[in-house]
Amino acid sequence: MEKRQTYLWRIFVTGACFTLFGLGGLILGVLVFPATLLLPGGPERRRARMRGLVQRALRLFVWVMSGVRVISYEFHGSERLGRPGQLIIANHPTLVDVVLIVAFTPAPCCVVKAAMFRNPFTRRVVRAAGYISNSPTDEMIHGAAAALRSGDSLVMFPEGTRTRPGQPMQFARGAANIAVQAADVLTPVYVRCEPLLLPKFEPWYRVPPRRPHYTLEVGEDIDLSAYRGVPSPRASRLLNARLLEHFTARLGASGGYNGNRGN
Amino acid sequence: MQTKDEILEQIKASLAELFELDPARITRAARLNEDLEIDSIDAVDLLDGLRRQTGRKISAEDFRSVRTVGDLVEAVYKLVQA
Repeated sequence: MEKRQTYLWRIFVTGACFTLFGLGGLILGVLVFPATLLLPGGPERRRARMRGLVQRALRLFVWVMSGVRVISYEFHGSERLGRPGQLIIANHPTLVDVVLIVAFTPAPCCVVKAAMFRNPFTRRVVRAAGYISNSPTDEMIHGAAAALRSGDSLVMFPEGTRTRPGQPMQFARGAANIAVQAADVLTPVYVRCEPLLLPKFEPWYRVPPRRPHYTLEVGEDIDLSAYRGVPSPRASRLLNARLLEHFTARLGASGGYNGNRGN
Repeated sequence: MQTKDEILEQIKASLAELFELDPARITRAARLNEDLEIDSIDAVDLLDGLRRQTGRKISAEDFRSVRTVGDLVEAVYKLVQA
């Protein structure tokens, strides 16, 4: 266990990182995005530019978070992220997973929590970047499929929400459904975080006693040929079961974290 | 013009094929979600199928209140009438 002083420091810095994230979102949405509207190019060009900006901003944010020692991380195989028509799926133990993955994927599209479209700090950014809301609707499935078909890479968390600590992972079928109908490539990213930072049901100030270390690993592409030409309800159920098995074999039933918060 | 019974038969056939259900389970009273295990993601596939079959623009809104196979028949009937 670190000294109490260091622990308090980490609580303070974690809070500061939240503030920075919110401010960054506001600056991107309120100042930078309107400014980019002055640059030439149509709506698609604009959206691509915004995605590039978000990626760089998150990269900077990751750099700050590791610089102030709120987290440390290693990312294996990130050079295989960002291929055209690539659906990137990851398990979701903590709040920071999406930040790390988007930071290391060249300008991806992203399926994000519906609440981000209402949150005053993030809503302008997710709109401007053309991200997709995760409600299990027509618009989500069609929007995600269209993004992949147009050659974007797309980041999705099949769990739909953060893993419930200590519970087995559960995959909603949306990601599998989108994969069988529209993905050229399906690539898993395994996320581990030890000890767990910002899991579901924990207030932000309950930081773990040790600095959390993230290990992200890009897995081999998952072969989709067996699912092509099979009616979508059946294909997506088969693939979903296979994906859950695959992630469970890799990470254990409860996903990126097994056991306690390191207390 | 299709009668409701014809629509029911058509829906039965496509549900049975798409979701590999025993046609005997697909009655008007059967609830899509609880009895037939057709979830919100399936509903998207189902609507896409209906769009292809009827060649009409169908908005998810028209199906928001559909709970049972019978509701689905009514909703499709209304659409093909329009």
